Amino acid sequence: MNRADEMLNLAAMRDQYLQQQLLGDRRAALQFIEAALRDGASVDEVRCRIVQDAQREIGRLWQEDRITIAQEHMATAISQLALAHLFQRSEFRRRVNKKVVIACVPGEHHEFPARLLADALEVQGYDVRFLGADVPLDSLMHSIETETPHVVALSVTMLFHLPALRAAVAAVRALKNPELLVAIGGSPFESSPSLAADMGADVVATDAAGFISQLTQKLGTSA
Amino acid sequence: MISWDGESREFVLVVDARGTVTDRDPRTAAKLKLSPGESFLARAVPGTEQKLANFLERARKQPLTNVELSLTADGKAITCSFHAKPDGPDRVALLGSWLPEEYSRSLQQVQESMEEVANLNRRVVVQKTALEKTLSELEDSNKGITVLHQELEDKAEVLQRTAEVRSRVVANVSHEFRTPLHSILGLSRLMLDGIDGELNSEQRKQLQFIRTSAEELSAMVDDLLDLAAAEAGKVVMRPEKFLVSDFVSALRGTLRPLLPAGGAVDLVFVDPPPELQMETDQSKLGQVLRNLVSNALKFTERGTVEVSVDTRRDDVIFKVRDTGIGIAAEHFERIFEEFGQVDGAIQSRVKGTGLGLPLSRRLAELLGGVLTVESEVGKGSVFTVRVPRVHAEVRELSDLEARPLDPNLPQVLVVEDDRKTIFIYEKYLANAGFQVVPARSIADAERFLGQMQPAAILLDIMLDGESSWNFLARLKRDPATHDIPVLVVTVTNKEQKARALGADEFWLKPVDQDRLTRKLRALRAEEDARVLIIDDDDRARYLMTRFLENGPYELIEAGSGAAGIEAAREHRPNVILLDFVLQDMTAFDVLDELKSDPLTRPIPVIVVTSLDLDQQERDRLLQQTEVILSKESLSREIAIRRIRDALRKADVGSNRTNLLSS
Repeated sequence: MNRADEMLNLAAMRDQYLQQQLLGDRRAALQFIEAALRDGASVDEVRCRIVQDAQREIGRLWQEDRITIAQEHMATAISQLALAHLFQRSEFRRRVNKKVVIACVPGEHHEFPARLLADALEVQGYDVRFLGADVPLDSLMHSIETETPHVVALSVTMLFHLPALRAAVAAVRALKNPELLVAIGGSPFESSPSLAADMGADVVATDAAGFISQLTQKLGTSA
Repeated sequence: MISWDGESREFVLVVDARGTVTDRDPRTAAKLKLSPGESFLARAVPGTEQKLANFLERARKQPLTNVELSLTADGKAITCSFHAKPDGPDRVALLGSWLPEEYSRSLQQVQESMEEVANLNRRVVVQKTALEKTLSELEDSNKGITVLHQELEDKAEVLQRTAEVRSRVVANVSHEFRTPLHSILGLSRLMLDGIDGELNSEQRKQLQFIRTSAEELSAMVDDLLDLAAAEAGKVVMRPEKFLVSDFVSALRGTLRPLLPAGGAVDLVFVDPPPELQMETDQSKLGQVLRNLVSNALKFTERGTVEVSVDTRRDDVIFKVRDTGIGIAAEHFERIFEEFGQVDGAIQSRVKGTGLGLPLSRRLAELLGGVLTVESEVGKGSVFTVRVPRVHAEVRELSDLEARPLDPNLPQVLVVEDDRKTIFIYEKYLANAGFQVVPARSIADAERFLGQMQPAAILLDIMLDGESSWNFLARLKRDPATHDIPVLVVTVTNKEQKARALGADEFWLKPVDQDRLTRKLRALRAEEDARVLIIDDDDRARYLMTRFLENGPYELIEAGSGAAGIEAAREHRPNVILLDFVLQDMTAFDVLDELKSDPLTRPIPVIVVTSLDLDQQERDRLLQQTEVILSKESLSREIAIRRIRDALRKADVGSNRTNLLSS
């Protein structure tokens, strides 16, 4: 990462990408991503260090009232496109025969971080079922029943949704399936790690890379 | 006045420094359910409290416009846009408007659609990746198959090479066997004839055993050589027309003596269909049937061996049926393998080379047919030979001959007796736009010339020996034909070169005594003819002298080529017997020497050899033919010049009478 930081200056790239996003120029944003790949950035680096970080910056900018909701939506749409593009450019690893169901908790409409995780896992060879934003609890439980995954990953982006997360984790735990790992993730755990402690999850992560490395360890799937 | 408060998206309120509502309009009360004394700050959606606090802090100092905030109302999050102005030192006046819900919903819908499209794209990508993987796996297996195929080809090549080496070894070893065998056969014959004194009966008996053993060995070597030649494709077909009834009679005559004494076995020849005519290689067909019948007799202790002939469409079917020991089905293929005899009491008593059936099968195939067996142990066997009534080569040629001439195509008269060579000409000439008129003898050619005016004549100079030269001479003398270009073809085959150089005969060893004396008598009628024998094999020379010593001949021996030439000059023999393979020089060299000396040139030379000649000599014509025929224009000048060149090359310019009359 140091090498990449020095040689590629990913932070500067993120700023440039962010600028294209806020200008609403999706073509330029995609061209920029292509250029980054050409310059030697890996698909993972572009996904996490450029797109994901830019997306976090978008959230911060709204908080600071520097952008409007409309701009946030536009920027997110561009990042969705970027993710899809990166997915296409990924080098897929061999299948590891582990299934992960990913969902946003009820009320959580920010599906972007979960989407990014789904892509990253898919590329790593996991079998991924991405349920999307605002998944009602009974839909989640139904998916777990029919898909029989090894892991359930639940995503939140705002503290506001923590009660829903807590309820979802409890519901999954109530299945009493020792084989099923419960993972939670989202930016709320970044600012206050203690929040995660009493959630009762097996894996807590604040970004895709951390999530994958923990999962790899728990499942014994060598990366 | 009508109140629009219920429909308005705007609301007004005033908050103090702690964020508590101090004043508000009715719309605020209705939408946000906020009353004075309640905390506006507490309405921030969790996670956005700081943004709201910051906003109020700044608004106390300066007016702000279009600030978006997320608030909760009735437990739901709504997004509002605020204008704010300081209202006195510690208070802030706010004008809020909430974004129309349908806009938010539309935005949400658009975003979700966009996400779905992106997800669809992902699925396509995953499928594409899977497809690519399958494709690359397919390519890999394809590569694997290619590699396997190559290995198979390599193996096949190795096998073929092995087979070739094997045939060559067999052929060479057989030759090595042949020479001493011929000595044994010849010498035992001499002794049995009592030329050097009578033998007592015991000696006769012993010698007879030696002779019989040598004959058996000789038969085996001949079979081996035949088989090797057949497998190497070196067998030349000599098809001829014959009546099957005549063929069967001849077969009966040669096979009768094989019947064992005692009458336990009958040999029956069913009369073939009358007037049934075949055109194929009679001697090879006879070889196959003799083999089958003698086999049947060997393995039949009592009962019948029956030979029958039948026809089916254009094929003739010969069946050899016996009531012998039979063959188990699992051995049907084995018996056609070399030395593949079946083990058993009777089998081991029976003498055989172990090559008869494999050779017969190969010969049947060369005749364009098949040899098959049906049998039951203890009941007997039926061997079936099915061959085309007319050999394919013959049929093709008769098709060629029967073809009506196309007046628009220039015709080329091909005077050539070898069918294969005619086909080669036909192929090349047809491609060049000519029409071949085959004449298989000089007589045919002369008959055709009476009816047509060919554009050119291709003449095999070896055809009918001298008469082809006379034919050429006649063509050139006759004003009607002297302008027709004649392309003379010569072949550099050993035998033919030897003949061209003046050898009168070319014989395969072993030399038959009767044939030798007859030939010499014909060559030289008068008494006391001098015969020079040039051979470096003492035994061969000895045999030859013994064969001839009682005749009216004066024999001169030479043990090398050089000695032979010397002897020829000194003694001027009436005829020379020349071994084809000498240690010191080739027969060609010897012939060259003899023919270049006026003293020895007229002496007839008979070349004797134990070497099998390469029967594929004619194929070499192909190269020569190509050279002549690939030229687009067969113009007369060029053609005539080429004939002269060809004649000069064959060393038959001015002195050709000398060359050929000896």
